[in-house]
Amino acid sequence: MNLRDKLNALSSKPAAPKPAPPVKTFSDCWHECLRRPLTEFPGCFNLRRETIMLMQGDDMPDPLDPRRILYLDTETTGLKGGAGTVAFLVGLGWLTDTGFELHQYVMRDYPEEKYLLQAVEETARRFDVICSFNGRSFDVPLLRDRFLMNRMRTDCLDKPHIDLLHIARRVWKLRLRQCNLGRLEEAILGMPRVDDLPGSEVPERYFRYLKCGDFSLLTDVLEHNAQDIASLCTLLGHMARLYEAPEILRHSEDVYSMGVALERMRHPEEARRCYRLASAGSMRVPGQLRLAGNLRRAGERSEAKTVWQGMMARHEGGIVPLIELAKHYEHIERDPAAALDMTRRAMMMMAEPSLTEDSETTQTREALEKRYQRLKGKLERSC
Amino acid sequence: MNVDQLADMLRRDSQFMQNVVRWEELPTRPAQYAPCPEGLDPRLLPVLQKRGIHQLYSHQAHAVREVLAGKDVVVVTPTASGKTMCYNLPVLSSILKDEDSRALYLFPTKALSADQVSELYELIEEMGVDIKTYTYDGDTPGAARRAVRQAGHIVVTNPDMLHSGILPHHTKWVKLFENLKYIVIDEIHTYRGVFGSNLANVLRRLMRLCAFYNSHPQFILCSATIANPQELAETLTGRPIELIDDNGAPMGARHFVFYNPPVVNRQLGIRRGVLPETRNIASMLLKNGIQTITFCRSRLQVEVLTRYLKDMVRDPLGNAGKVRGYRGGYLPTQRREIEKGLRAGQIDAVVSTNALELGIDIGALDACVLCGYPGTIASAWQQAGRAGRRKSTSIVFFVASSTALDQYIVSHPDYFLHQSPENALLNPDNLYILLSHFKCAAFELPFEDGDSFGNAPAPDQLLDYLTDASILRHVDGRYHWMAEDFPASQLSLRSAAAEENFMIIDITNPANPRVIGEMDRYTVPMLLHENAIYMHEAQQYQVEKLDFDACKAFIRQVDVGYYTDSDLNVSLSLLDIEQENAENGVSRALGEVKVTCQVTMFKKIKFDTHETLGFGHVRLPETDMHTTAMWWTLPDELAAQFDNDTLKNGMLAVTNLLRIVAPMYLMCSPQDVAVLYQVKSPFTDKPTVILYDNLPGGVGLAHKAYGMQRLLLDNALQIVENCACQSGCPSCAGPMGEIGDNGKQTAIAILKGLTAP
Repeated sequence: MNLRDKLNALSSKPAAPKPAPPVKTFSDCWHECLRRPLTEFPGCFNLRRETIMLMQGDDMPDPLDPRRILYLDTETTGLKGGAGTVAFLVGLGWLTDTGFELHQYVMRDYPEEKYLLQAVEETARRFDVICSFNGRSFDVPLLRDRFLMNRMRTDCLDKPHIDLLHIARRVWKLRLRQCNLGRLEEAILGMPRVDDLPGSEVPERYFRYLKCGDFSLLTDVLEHNAQDIASLCTLLGHMARLYEAPEILRHSEDVYSMGVALERMRHPEEARRCYRLASAGSMRVPGQLRLAGNLRRAGERSEAKTVWQGMMARHEGGIVPLIELAKHYEHIERDPAAALDMTRRAMMMMAEPSLTEDSETTQTREALEKRYQRLKGKLERSC
Repeated sequence: MNVDQLADMLRRDSQFMQNVVRWEELPTRPAQYAPCPEGLDPRLLPVLQKRGIHQLYSHQAHAVREVLAGKDVVVVTPTASGKTMCYNLPVLSSILKDEDSRALYLFPTKALSADQVSELYELIEEMGVDIKTYTYDGDTPGAARRAVRQAGHIVVTNPDMLHSGILPHHTKWVKLFENLKYIVIDEIHTYRGVFGSNLANVLRRLMRLCAFYNSHPQFILCSATIANPQELAETLTGRPIELIDDNGAPMGARHFVFYNPPVVNRQLGIRRGVLPETRNIASMLLKNGIQTITFCRSRLQVEVLTRYLKDMVRDPLGNAGKVRGYRGGYLPTQRREIEKGLRAGQIDAVVSTNALELGIDIGALDACVLCGYPGTIASAWQQAGRAGRRKSTSIVFFVASSTALDQYIVSHPDYFLHQSPENALLNPDNLYILLSHFKCAAFELPFEDGDSFGNAPAPDQLLDYLTDASILRHVDGRYHWMAEDFPASQLSLRSAAAEENFMIIDITNPANPRVIGEMDRYTVPMLLHENAIYMHEAQQYQVEKLDFDACKAFIRQVDVGYYTDSDLNVSLSLLDIEQENAENGVSRALGEVKVTCQVTMFKKIKFDTHETLGFGHVRLPETDMHTTAMWWTLPDELAAQFDNDTLKNGMLAVTNLLRIVAPMYLMCSPQDVAVLYQVKSPFTDKPTVILYDNLPGGVGLAHKAYGMQRLLLDNALQIVENCACQSGCPSCAGPMGEIGDNGKQTAIAILKGLTAP
């Protein structure tokens, strides 16, 4: 028996019929260009550099030309990565003065990969910024790997990167839980997809195409990819508008989350605006607490005090405003009597210790006790 | 009391000496030094001097010289001979000279990696240079991984991580692959069987990627004493390797005591149990304050013995921390703590399985007790090497059990003392293993027409097979990966199947279940079936529930006077005959078989007296293994001489004999080869004796046995004929209770029939 027969004998299932060997020569990859009217992307030229800088951390070129942003999305032979995973379809889109241009490159078989990569490289070179959905940790590293495996340079990918997944997550995770592109299109852009091919089925579809050579099997994949790319442009414009005018956001969870995101990106003043908006809606308690913390860090002590006092008066936020006020009186106004009063109120508000108390509550209780003793000491000494 | 005084005392103890078959004194060996070879970076020398190293041992100097001359080497030296210098010196020197240089260190376990890095850190810190050494394994936090990939000069990892974490993601490791100068593989003697065959293929993959990145690393390998270190090194790497075995490290005097427990029933050839005898010797050492390691043959023995010894030293509060058990299945943190305690001398006695045989640094101890023969000469020396200081005397006791192999060794001490240790066998071209690695390799980098894969046979046939199976796509002269899977995640290097370990969960306190250990899928049916008594750190637990699908065993603390032992049922079916021949009606064949194992029942056995208290049933799924086997079919005339029961007993006796002979002549450990008989074999239709590789896919033992089958039978016959017992004993055909009154005579007749000229 030769090795191959032996292997066939060992495997329980009979060998599949051998697919017809591909005999053609390869000189380029498949390429198609679609154009979408600008009317589908309202206000897409109004992107301002300052707004993008509020949304994420990569430094943007100045001035930022919306026509030099490359929207990128790949379809791959596997979702787990690794050196054997290939991007068989790369979709690239950009704005021109007359419309949105969308170029799709497909390798119809493995030998076409290098032509596909050459096309990506030539195109990417002409742009200043890449915009993607999860491309920072998936598409771009994968393309880098592919360039490397084909012994090509990777510097065409070294550009500032706007990854909308991370931006969207920061704003909508709290309310939507899930932040995949389809969900955002439905919930945020109000454009639910119909008959969309689930991403998890993409690799299998491509392998089926390779086995039988019927290119129409990829129609769904191409449509899915084209839709993804157009959505990137729409979503970026939409998010920029929201960042410029958070008032438009209808859900106070979203405004609140945007505030947290802005603060994390070190834009405290813009964050404060969001917290004030959130304090008026269903996120009023966490919104006010964030607002007061923000004010305190900015040195606006008395404004912060006013927020906490308001919360206390309305019995909002439990003991937190009381503790904050106690700190404020003790350390800022140096008024131990007022601080002691706040501490005493907080202690009274906390229920009797119970057997099942969690360690956090116990710690709070102990901290309050310590503060109480210290303040009493201070008062006695001053008397 | 020190070891010299203890030895004197024992020698005057006539009762003890009655059971001592041989007392061998191994003399002191002085150190042999050699000048430090030229060509090492000058910054290294002051650091060595600061650590009190003014000269190198001869083997260290030799190794460094050859490596600097560009050769691949394997260094063979016993425990504690300073072998790490053999690789650390050239590696550090090359990085000092060119800071782009990279080195990859492979250790068989995570524990050993951790040990090594701390030693390297010390050297690097004393030099005050910026050489970054990182371990990269399952415990490396995600955030640190990036730094390791980019900046690690020395990356310390294990074969499993290299296989599934580094090679498939080689594009993230460009710096390492482009600049790789040295590949260091320590403890290569552990890479035999399946693990070794897998590692050889992982190295084939590694070298393929190095070729892609245009680097040409050198190998520095280290091995404990085995018969064929050079052959093993060359099979693992597929390259010619220079052997360095001129050990120059000093060693204090050593006593090697062969102890055979007294016979309690001469007729049945039954001796006192190995466990009680080991307990006596270990307690005697413990009482005299001699730091001792005891090696047991099974996890169960470890637990039983630990319990005995702990009871001896327990303080009024019940603490017995000076005695510890150690085995696979304890959690890593617990193991690290025990290792530390041993190094610091806080633990007086440790009872271990072969888990401590490897080069984990526990310092040197005064005494070692082998509770039964570990199965191979290499292992026995490795375990004995745990006792042995450079300057003072140490002592090793080998306590023989009543198994035939132990009895053979204890009655032929010269065989043990002078026979070369075993070969480490592996078969990188084992079809199952090879096929899996072809997948991984194709995933990592497409094969091109005419590409080789190390020295693997017929790569084109394997590639075409994978192409037919639509796993690869052959187009334009290249084979591309065409599947969604990540092939490395489907292959575990240590067993043939990539199966999850089972978690062992203590539910004694239902509010607070805790994981106390883990166990591999193959051992679980034997030790963790429902109602089994499971021992962990000498505490008894009963298995309450075994959830096979969820890979969890739930256990509860109990205190009962018995332990449990399970019975494994094995059946066999034929897949393919590779070779066969017949002479005088005896036919012999070699082929591939499927072995099916199932645990169906267990026994409850009382502590101390070891009597059977009762039985229980086990309902668990079967496990399958494909492997290679050879078998003898008895001629009809021969079988017709006996009635069915007699034939059965005789064949059982023959298998017992072959089990003694086979490991010795195949130079493998006893658990790697299995022998069984079928009175009416489903595939030969006749009485058949089968010997097979007890490892998935096989590593070539059955092939070797097929070639020397006559020698095996002749020696089996010689043992049984020369044995003085009447009707069989544990040292030859098996005890009479097992093989019946006429088992021994029938075995002789069968063996004569099989070897008739």
